[in-house]
Amino acid sequence: MTAKGDVKRAERRLALWLCAPAIIFMALVAAWPILYSVWLSFNRYDLRFPKDQAFVGLENYITVLTNEFWWTAFGVTVLITVVSVAIELVLGMGLAVVMHRTLVGRGLVRTVVLIPYGIVTVVAAFGWFYAWTPGTGWLASLLPAGSAPLTEQWPAIGIIILAEVWKTTPFMALLLLAGLALVPDELHRAAAMDGAGRWKRFVSITLPLMRPAIAVALLFRTLDAFRIYDNIYVLTNGAQNTGSVSIITYTNLVSGLNLGIGSTMSVLIFLTVAIIAFVFVKMLGTSTPGSEGRR
Amino acid sequence: MMGKRIQWTALDIVVVAFALIPVLWLVSLSLKTPATIADGGFIPRQWTFENYVNVFTEGGFLRPLLNSIGIAGLATVIAIVLGTFAAYAIARLDFPGRNLMLGAALLVAMFPQVSLVTPLFNIERQLGLFNTWPGLILPYVTFALPLTIYTMSTFFREIPWELEKAAKMDGASSFQAFRKVIVPLAAPGVVTAAVLAFIQSWNDFLFAISLTSSDTARTAPAAISFFTGSSQFEDPTGSVSAAAVIVTIPIVIFVLIFQRRIVSGLTAGAVKG
Amino acid sequence: MSNQQRSRTFRLVSGVVAVIGAAAVLTGCGSGTDGKVINLYNAPQENLGQIVERCNEMADGDYHIRLNTLPRDADGQREQMVRRLAAADSGMDVLGIDVTWTAELASADWILPWPDDVRAKAEEGVLEAPLTTATYEDELYAAPYNTNVQLLWYRTDLMPEPAQTWDELVATAQRLEEEQKPHHVEVTGAQYEGLVVWFNSMVAAAGGAILNKEGDAVELGQPAVEALEDMRDFARSPAANPSMSNTQEDQARLAMENGSSFAQINWPFVYASMVANRPDIAENFAWAPYPGIDGPGNAPLGGANFAVSAFSEHPEESFEAALCLRDDESQLMAAVNDGLPPTIESVYADERMADPYPMRDAILEALETAVPRPVTPVYQNVSTVTSALLSPPADIDPIEAERKLASQLADALESKGVLP
Repeated sequence: MTAKGDVKRAERRLALWLCAPAIIFMALVAAWPILYSVWLSFNRYDLRFPKDQAFVGLENYITVLTNEFWWTAFGVTVLITVVSVAIELVLGMGLAVVMHRTLVGRGLVRTVVLIPYGIVTVVAAFGWFYAWTPGTGWLASLLPAGSAPLTEQWPAIGIIILAEVWKTTPFMALLLLAGLALVPDELHRAAAMDGAGRWKRFVSITLPLMRPAIAVALLFRTLDAFRIYDNIYVLTNGAQNTGSVSIITYTNLVSGLNLGIGSTMSVLIFLTVAIIAFVFVKMLGTSTPGSEGRR
Repeated sequence: MMGKRIQWTALDIVVVAFALIPVLWLVSLSLKTPATIADGGFIPRQWTFENYVNVFTEGGFLRPLLNSIGIAGLATVIAIVLGTFAAYAIARLDFPGRNLMLGAALLVAMFPQVSLVTPLFNIERQLGLFNTWPGLILPYVTFALPLTIYTMSTFFREIPWELEKAAKMDGASSFQAFRKVIVPLAAPGVVTAAVLAFIQSWNDFLFAISLTSSDTARTAPAAISFFTGSSQFEDPTGSVSAAAVIVTIPIVIFVLIFQRRIVSGLTAGAVKG
Repeated sequence: MSNQQRSRTFRLVSGVVAVIGAAAVLTGCGSGTDGKVINLYNAPQENLGQIVERCNEMADGDYHIRLNTLPRDADGQREQMVRRLAAADSGMDVLGIDVTWTAELASADWILPWPDDVRAKAEEGVLEAPLTTATYEDELYAAPYNTNVQLLWYRTDLMPEPAQTWDELVATAQRLEEEQKPHHVEVTGAQYEGLVVWFNSMVAAAGGAILNKEGDAVELGQPAVEALEDMRDFARSPAANPSMSNTQEDQARLAMENGSSFAQINWPFVYASMVANRPDIAENFAWAPYPGIDGPGNAPLGGANFAVSAFSEHPEESFEAALCLRDDESQLMAAVNDGLPPTIESVYADERMADPYPMRDAILEALETAVPRPVTPVYQNVSTVTSALLSPPADIDPIEAERKLASQLADALESKGVLP
């Protein structure tokens, strides 16, 4: 009995030693800075006024939360997130079905869709940027003369969403593909026998069985879309009210040199993401992957 | 049957076009001469490799490229080593903190990176890590860790560890058993995790522009966004697209070699829900 | 093998050689330079290399200036510099800074005030307007390098007598529209610094200012409302180009070279370009003082100066190098080769200036009444917030815009400003 207990204890100790380095890394580079930024957010800390550094309590939060630029960026971010994730879900489902079922060139399709997934976002964004630049771009040349879509708010947001959808639909599709593979073929065959059409089978058999996979894919993509930065940086850099919360935070840090305001925004984004994750998990009733332990 | 094949082929073509056209556009742009670069055509009318030469001569792209390779490579190696430890513990050992560990990793995976930019900027400039390789490797490792831990622990669970015991019974030493039996079984998971971690670090832009200020540590994606034309009135379109194609090449190679692994790695985390 | 092919092959080969060479340099980083290396960071200026070379020869081994080129756009330049200064990077010595950055960099203690002996040299013979742009709280923080003023550029065949006010410009545009002739006046109406420059001059013409003289409180008020009304009315008149909300300096220049406008508000660089690109229009191409509200206006003041980084390891040599980079000869070279108006008055009298600068008297005259932009460490906020709130000019609601601007700027002065 004691021998077994010793083994157990040794196993525990080994496990902790093995996990420790990863934990330390994540704590040092993620947890500590976020705590530090909570502290900074309670201070007036503007690099342009080094002598005026002081504790100001919640003042920065009042400033940011009553500022129209912040809410514009917030609205734009939510809009981009909702629209692009919705489009990705539909397209991604289609793509997953193609990858799963196609009779020809399955390997080719599966390889090719990985290119948008793997390509550097900034690089792809430059591709879109030039494609829509009047004169230079092949897409811009399809538009009526004199239009410069990237310099107007709504067309620019449309292009940002397009760039985002192109880049991340394959990732969505791969997550859904995993779910699709879990749907047993026999169920389909049985339903087909009962005379259910393709669409009916998809809605009544495939979708319910894929619910967990869809929930996970949506959660991942929503949180990822909410931090959108690279595409906007290249396409508009936030001009004409197209900035996301990440863009406005970066601007206030690097352009504004205001660590107090920048940190306040950092904390607000962190809280928002936490709330989104919480709501998702509650609403979709999904447990996060791995949290239910060993299978 | 024939009709179905045609249907699927048509769908395949749509998918391939969707995925490739934006990339081919960049390639086309990078091959255009300065005179035709603003002609708006999808296919170049005059071809040149000059942009690729200029990127290295006038653009000074070599240093950022080396930075990218070095920083992403080192970050991957560190993340794999640390991730292997943790993944082994999660997959094989029974300990109370297991779910906590997975939860923490998940939390980091979903972390809004921009929330770290302000504090890391300030911490790094005070510690002297700003604009250095370690200054970027630290956050890259952190954000690669969840990926490697998840991917590898999923793989490790599938390994029939009893084989190790069996090999030892057959007279192999512990090391031999590990090397001959476990390493080949674990290797695919490690390689998959490494490829995904590398792609992620290679891809980063936000940290690269926030935590660097010069060629000392600036990575390729950040350098591209700072390209200037060779004169004040010339747009750097040609150089940007050539550099863009260059940083895409490693990705294409990875995708071609590791297609199956990437697909299985990405789907591994999501199967269960 | 054609000539062109040969040169291409040569370039390819030399490119490869250069890559290998660059690799060699990288591995043997920084070896082999005797004396002190002074790193100069400046905006792209095509022939600055010649000026640097001349100063290096004159330094005779005391120091060696190495030229590093910053991005093209002002925001990009500032961002790069500021990020390195915030990290106390000693790799920058002499900084070419825009006139609007002086207060910010000085207040953050990132650039050095000039000690009395070098200060006297840097100020000698310098025009007053550019000198004020390099001064903050009675200290000189940069040596004036080049100045700039906007003028009204117009076609005498379409507007024989230059308009003195914006109203006259609009009236002329209406007349030309009826006569079905080019009736646009190009102004920098895009959402960027150019829009702020315009607003600043308009407020001054209305007798007001954006901030008070000390730069620590917002003024705006009725003059600002009046200025905003005039800007909006102009943007809605036949004088406004439909693409006005995308027009920066270069688009304005091109539009006039295309023949679609009869006038533009721009910096003097447009003159050389017009002569080179459209000799036919250039014959009738003239300049006049910047328009105002009740009479001639106050031209926007631009330019760039040389500051020394507070983190430089060689401040003394850096001051010396900066002095050389902006001395009479250097300024003349910059003026003739790159079209940058000098800050030293005597340079204007040089006979080599006559040909490229027929408008030099107009520049000197405009400098007398030119308005600098607000002097404040938070100029970046002033600029970004202003351009965001006033874009597009045709949609300005003067009273509402003035109110928002005043509250955002007041916040910024207390480090509570939010940049869009």
